[in-house]
Amino acid sequence: MNDYFSLLLECLPSLLDGLQTTVIMAAASLVLAFVLGLILAIFSLSKIKILTVFYTVYVYIVRGIPVMIFGLFLFFGVGALLNIKFNPLLASIITLTINASAYLAEIFRGGIKAVDIGQVEAARSLGLGYFRTMALVIIPQAVKIMIPPIINQFITTLKDTSILSVISVRELTMNSQIIIARNYRPFEVYSYAAAMYLIIIIILSLFAKYIERRLQHGKSN
Amino acid sequence: MEKVIEVRNLHKSFGSLEVLKDISFNVEKGEVLCIIGPSGSGKSTLLRCLNRLEEIQAGDIEVFSTNVTKVKNINKFREKIGMVFQLFNLFPNYTVAQNIMLAPVQLGLMNKKQADAKAVELLQKVGLEEKKDVYPETLSGGQKQRIAIARALAMNPQIMLFDEPTSALDPEMVGEVLKVMRSLADSGMTMVVVTHEMNFAREVANRVIFMADGYIVEEDSPKKLFTNPSNKRTQAFLSSVLKPLES
Repeated sequence: MNDYFSLLLECLPSLLDGLQTTVIMAAASLVLAFVLGLILAIFSLSKIKILTVFYTVYVYIVRGIPVMIFGLFLFFGVGALLNIKFNPLLASIITLTINASAYLAEIFRGGIKAVDIGQVEAARSLGLGYFRTMALVIIPQAVKIMIPPIINQFITTLKDTSILSVISVRELTMNSQIIIARNYRPFEVYSYAAAMYLIIIIILSLFAKYIERRLQHGKSN
Repeated sequence: MEKVIEVRNLHKSFGSLEVLKDISFNVEKGEVLCIIGPSGSGKSTLLRCLNRLEEIQAGDIEVFSTNVTKVKNINKFREKIGMVFQLFNLFPNYTVAQNIMLAPVQLGLMNKKQADAKAVELLQKVGLEEKKDVYPETLSGGQKQRIAIARALAMNPQIMLFDEPTSALDPEMVGEVLKVMRSLADSGMTMVVVTHEMNFAREVANRVIFMADGYIVEEDSPKKLFTNPSNKRTQAFLSSVLKPLES
């Protein structure tokens, strides 16, 4: 037992370094995916046919390709084609952004669609225009519906960062493997890494619960 | 009398299904018109065409001499036409007072203070002033519908449309909503009411339209239509709804 913790202390600087990269990767991807997802959701709700078709195709393609294949294809495949060497962190952020944007767009779209159409009719019948109806009536209600799946997506993306160790990003999983290659202690080191992911995700989940509770009584604005 | 609604040869379809077939009628200022008929006869759709919640395929609808299908500013146009829905459609993210004040304040008709005073006045009118600061989820169906009426009235509409306002209510709550509607009618409001409340139609309406299968089958004073309907379809409908236990 003593040994377990002394080994942890030994590995800790390198693991924390990896964890930091993991969090940066996930946070940067999710911020970008959030913006991209909103734009895509607007596409999907628009009346312009080409935008809705683009949306549908985008979501199908992105959801149909595993994150690992997408990352390998971008980093090695596209890199080779264009004869450039991608920064692994940049390639990972692009991969995760594109992946999460499709799921988030679906969450946004679904949240807005889930608000009863009667709400739109009531607002419009009072003389409120489309944008006021969306901003004052529909989106505040949709946000409440969206919070749990959005947090779910945050958790998924955070865990998906580990997949990008295949393109040699020095995140938590990659750093664990490097340590193990040196000390041959996979049982200990992987358990440290697992615990670190777990702690971050528990914190995220508790935060989600807190937000949900605050929004419970409709006081979203 | 001044005509405020004029419908001429209206046709409305959902895809290939024609739900309104050559509908024509007028509503005069201060009149209460009730539309009755079996489910699926097109009553609600007709009502929703009047403020263009539904687009029509042919014919003309004029409200205050404005052609509904050609109106430039639909939002401005709708300000004058209040609507009350079967399922209330209160905004759950706002308190009762905020529900009432939202549109008048947002559309610049009143400042916050004026709207607040208006909300209090309307809540007294519908007998719910103590509910001013609660959220709709805490209200009963009858209370919700009375708030929905107050919300529509806050815009100072010149016409009120009611789409089966009591159909989703528990029986003991129907009376409180009808009472508010009756006092509104007594105050001279022009009203078009789609309803299954035959007693309300009989006692409050100036005129009743009976619809079936997308047509206006019969249109008359309530006295004549309820006691001596001329059309067989009307007779059949009235005898089934007025004596439900005997058959």
